[in-house]
Amino acid sequence: MKYWQKIMTVTWKDTIAEMRTREIISSVLVFTLLVIVIFNFAFGTNQTTLNLVAPGILWVTFTFAGVLSLNRAFVPEKEQGCLEGLMACPVSREVIYVGKMLASLLFMLIIEAIALPIFAFLFNLPVLSLQIIVITVLTTIGFVTVGTLFSALAVNTKAREMILPILFLPVVIPIIISAVLATGTALAGGSWSELASSLQIIAVFDVIFLVVSFLVFPYVIEE
Amino acid sequence: MLRKLLVWLGVTLMVFSLFLVFVYVPTERTMGIVQKIFYLMVPMGWLAILSFLIIFVGSIFYLAKKSRRWDNLAFCGAETGLVFTTLALIIGSIWAKPIWGVWWTWEPRLTATLVLWLIYIAYFMVRSFASEEYRGATFAAVVGIVGFVDIPIIILSTTLWRGMHPGPIIFQGGLEPAMLFTLLVSLAAFTVLYVLILTQRVSLRNDQMELARLKELYH
Amino acid sequence: MENTGFLLAAFSIVWAVVFGYILLMVNRQRKLRIEIASLKATLKEKGIE
Repeated sequence: MKYWQKIMTVTWKDTIAEMRTREIISSVLVFTLLVIVIFNFAFGTNQTTLNLVAPGILWVTFTFAGVLSLNRAFVPEKEQGCLEGLMACPVSREVIYVGKMLASLLFMLIIEAIALPIFAFLFNLPVLSLQIIVITVLTTIGFVTVGTLFSALAVNTKAREMILPILFLPVVIPIIISAVLATGTALAGGSWSELASSLQIIAVFDVIFLVVSFLVFPYVIEE
Repeated sequence: MLRKLLVWLGVTLMVFSLFLVFVYVPTERTMGIVQKIFYLMVPMGWLAILSFLIIFVGSIFYLAKKSRRWDNLAFCGAETGLVFTTLALIIGSIWAKPIWGVWWTWEPRLTATLVLWLIYIAYFMVRSFASEEYRGATFAAVVGIVGFVDIPIIILSTTLWRGMHPGPIIFQGGLEPAMLFTLLVSLAAFTVLYVLILTQRVSLRNDQMELARLKELYH
Repeated sequence: MENTGFLLAAFSIVWAVVFGYILLMVNRQRKLRIEIASLKATLKEKGIE
């Protein structure tokens, strides 16, 4: 099998498991909806206030949704002893990383693809623009590159679900900052060139952490 | 011998830098005497980053060689780093109060320092939550590498975030020669102090390991 | 603007923490060395090392 085929096999395995249980997508989606509704109570229904806080609401929601779904990326593997099976496969650890990461990316994007229209609908905001979609996709890539690495790490600690946010959140702060900034500019009708500097930071983060996580991942799951 | 030399160098530099800060250097006009905290704040920030560089180097070699010595270096770098990052935050707060009238402000450098501090905390958390010690060391090494690579991106993003704010005057248009000299001497003094503290910490950790080994033998 | 208090506070906090940290380390190491020496002696008596 070629490299890409191996990666796709791992991704496909996760996708089938998810299609059967719908564990991640359905629960995280409900969670996302609840967070959006609760934020609505927290900030009231004043449209000017909402315009101001919308980027923050959106990214707090997506960040927590990310933590929640990434937490589940390795827990089932660990609980059912699948991780040993996966490592016994004739594929390198890096393949496992990329495969799992792509699966998490897919789930996150599906969740966001459903959550964004709901957000637009409930808050009466034009978040379905190409600009915001680009920001969301780039930032989500950043989330899953580090998130998959830390998720594999967290599942091998005593605290499991507790440890992922503690590791994940401080590291992704720069892209959350940039995403919030860019979303705010985009909602205010800013041009692409005004978004450039934020998008650059997110893109640099994505590339750097894809490489770093790829290199470091094998050490995390070795027995 | 070398250590003794370093101690004397450190003490001399430190006394000299205190003299420069309190006697020699002219007081800055707009901010007054408080501006002198600057000669303390910059070295603290520098040590916060230098420590993370040490964690980074120690972590990489630990993952590659799996030798306890490198993990010890990274761990001690993290502990001293946490001390100096905490100090940087406290000094930043003491600086913010008279200059901006509040104890905390989301100034880019201060914000970046806070994020760095949170990553230091994560480094220790992951170590203490690991089921076995060697695993904790590996996981901490991963956090150390990721955290260090993250630093430039954190600084970039916090600067962009507060981009519309005018930065503190001292960072723009260069420093007066006397001020620059004082700053450089302070930086040198604190760097020597840091090396002394770090080596002391490493030797303490080695003793702790030795004791643990002996206790194992005993039982 | 007279804010000498802040300046002095900053310097004294840094020095207090630095000296406190060094003292703590030196103290712990002294105790450790004593413990190591006694443990080594015991082990020698038992003939393990």
